[in-house]
Amino acid sequence: MKDALVLVERFTAHPDSRCWHVAWNPTATLMASCGGDRAIRIWGKEGDSWKCLSVLQDGHQRTVRRVAWSPCGTYLASASFDATTCIWKKKNDDFECLTTLEGHENEVKCVTWAPSGNLLATCSRDKSVWVWEVDEEDEYECVTVINSHTQDVKLVVWHPTLELLASASYDNNICVYKEEDDDWECKATLEGHTSTVWSLTFDPSGQRMASCSDDRTVKIWKRFDGAYMTWKCVCTLSGFHERSVYDIAWCRLTGALVTACGDDGVRVFKEDSTADPEQPVFSLAAHVSKAHSQDVNCVAWNPKEAGVLATCSDNGEIAIWKYQDDHE
Amino acid sequence: MASHFSGVLKLTDLDDFITPSQECVKPVKLEKKQGESVAKIQIEDDGSYFQINQDGGKQKLEKAKITLNDCLACSGCITSAESVLIAQQSQEEIFKVLRNNKLASATDQVVVVVSVSPQSRASLAARFGMSSSETGRRLTSFLKGLGVHHVFDTGFSRTFSLLESQQEFLERFQRKEQDKSALPMLTSACPGWICYAEKTHGEFILPYISTTRSPQQMMGSLVKDYFAEAQGLSPRQIFHVAVMPCYDKKLEASRPDFYLEEAESREVDLVITSGEVLSMLEQEKVILNEVKAAPLDELFSNVNGGELLSHAGGGSGGYLHHVFTHTAKQLFGEEVKELTYKTLKNKDFQEVTLEKDGVVVLRFASTYGFRNIQNLVQKLKRGKSPYHFVEVMACPSGCLNGGGQLKPLPDQTSKDLLQQVERLYKAETASLPEDDTRVSDLYHSWLHNVGAERARQLLRTQYHGVEKISNGLIIKW
Repeated sequence: MKDALVLVERFTAHPDSRCWHVAWNPTATLMASCGGDRAIRIWGKEGDSWKCLSVLQDGHQRTVRRVAWSPCGTYLASASFDATTCIWKKKNDDFECLTTLEGHENEVKCVTWAPSGNLLATCSRDKSVWVWEVDEEDEYECVTVINSHTQDVKLVVWHPTLELLASASYDNNICVYKEEDDDWECKATLEGHTSTVWSLTFDPSGQRMASCSDDRTVKIWKRFDGAYMTWKCVCTLSGFHERSVYDIAWCRLTGALVTACGDDGVRVFKEDSTADPEQPVFSLAAHVSKAHSQDVNCVAWNPKEAGVLATCSDNGEIAIWKYQDDHE
Repeated sequence: MASHFSGVLKLTDLDDFITPSQECVKPVKLEKKQGESVAKIQIEDDGSYFQINQDGGKQKLEKAKITLNDCLACSGCITSAESVLIAQQSQEEIFKVLRNNKLASATDQVVVVVSVSPQSRASLAARFGMSSSETGRRLTSFLKGLGVHHVFDTGFSRTFSLLESQQEFLERFQRKEQDKSALPMLTSACPGWICYAEKTHGEFILPYISTTRSPQQMMGSLVKDYFAEAQGLSPRQIFHVAVMPCYDKKLEASRPDFYLEEAESREVDLVITSGEVLSMLEQEKVILNEVKAAPLDELFSNVNGGELLSHAGGGSGGYLHHVFTHTAKQLFGEEVKELTYKTLKNKDFQEVTLEKDGVVVLRFASTYGFRNIQNLVQKLKRGKSPYHFVEVMACPSGCLNGGGQLKPLPDQTSKDLLQQVERLYKAETASLPEDDTRVSDLYHSWLHNVGAERARQLLRTQYHGVEKISNGLIIKW
């Protein structure tokens, strides 16, 4: 393991509170972050360093848990513990709140846009997953409410190319949903983790999915399309993380996996290209043990620059890293 | 145990209607002994409690118990609301009442009345391969064999609900310019919808909801007021059971608004589901096909020539159909023979319009299922709802697909079963509420005599916004 993860920049994003999530916009010119201070901050590059361009303070009454950019980059969605999801529209350098999506019973944990751009998914501690549709007039309507989980749903994520949705929950399971007839249904339930599944990420092709859990492991799942769609766990990475693994991201450009851990560390895993595709092998390529002084909550690969990564932490900071692949 | 209640009610959380509180404040009858004895309480390994007296003697202590009525009538209980409701509004309770009746003296006996919904009948009909009317006759025979005195059909009380809904809509339509919350009128027969509306949208949505009672509660009025008086009984002397296609109806029956304070009696004492009737049959080792048919109790049944009748307009009561056709006739002089339903976003969201001279004068919709209810309410909140009337049901595909209906057999798909149930339900001839002479007679003999206020109490109801309780002890993590 001679690859390295080098710190490029570190700055305080949400003073005196947690930074829960950081997201690159599709063109990687901006970042959005959100935190326990109920604010959303928009960051832009000024020369070599990141500057706060805008603070969206009055959108939510409680912690903002997640922000997500629309595929076109014009809209931002924010999910909050106040049980609402706000949709913001970019107007020059600022954002204005277009509408607030209500309906969840309690804390909304995640929001994510479908690649098609006209569907949105949210999930909540109320155990439900909602799919929303937006029309040409920027009106949002609920498409469906799915109750497949028996506990708090931590994350929802869309498949990169197909209209498939996946969710991760405190009930230790992952559910995969598809539209059938005129409603959405859970088509597969992936069991295997022995504790809360915190996050999920699809590989660039969408054939595989990686999950990370409070059970301190990462699992790789492979999709099998037969009469029914099934997912099988083809690899488990254990012994690498000392605490709960809170986030995982699969790089669209390089295929590398990165994890955010409760032991304050950030780890990059690379796939062994010579291994049997039915039994993939991932090895630890880089590890920063004290990436932040507290829990790392989120990891996000830069969608345009290979090897560039953003992380954020309970200590309120955002850090930018460069993964140097020594085998170039 | 997974919740049986409708998806809408599940999300609403039952405990907001029957709230558990930190301590049960219901006094339990104790046998108090005089004296200054100080006793110790010892807990045995099996969990039973023994009182150890000063003289060393041991006495087993009785478990404190309270009845469902007491429990639900007070501010809180120590067990989960849902389990109280399910456990005590079950077929076991009916067997208990029937057993007690057999042992009781003439003065202590109760008259047992069972009101069966057409949807439950259709569900049982599908399972046993009979027509809905034949199922009604066999059920009558089975229930009477157990000791039930009368078996009625809520299709009869539904006639009242449809007539009242028609009337109420016309009143609301006439005052729509002065009263901004007169329209759209939202139906009130579905308790899953009502409880969700009361809890989640409170005072905003309640004025739009029809005050007309559901067929279940109309029957409650009929049985515990008209029938009781006609039979010279007090409401407490009648045990009224309703057979319904869902569990949410159990919650409706336990609403304080349907409790007769003076008589200390519920208008509907107990609700069991179609599935629970099947359990009763299985418990008694009875196969409905082998039961000899008994004549239907025509007093409170929608019958003609010994066959049960239905109402047009789908399996959830036909509110949209009847209010639409009645209004079209009364206000626009149009005789609508057949309604043209337009499917919107999904099959549980349909629209019907009436056009006159190229202008849409009536726009009605039916929204079934949580996602469609969500969108309806959100549009209403933004002032963007184009409808005059909406038939709202919590279950996708409506009441025929309720959570308490019989489940498909191993070789059946849910879809096929639902289609079969729908066919059997529709096979009953449709009757027109306006043409029912027995109902109109009752309007005169029963309701006109008691005066407008009492009639309103018997035919209508009201709603109450539920406050979100932020007591940390009640949050389920």
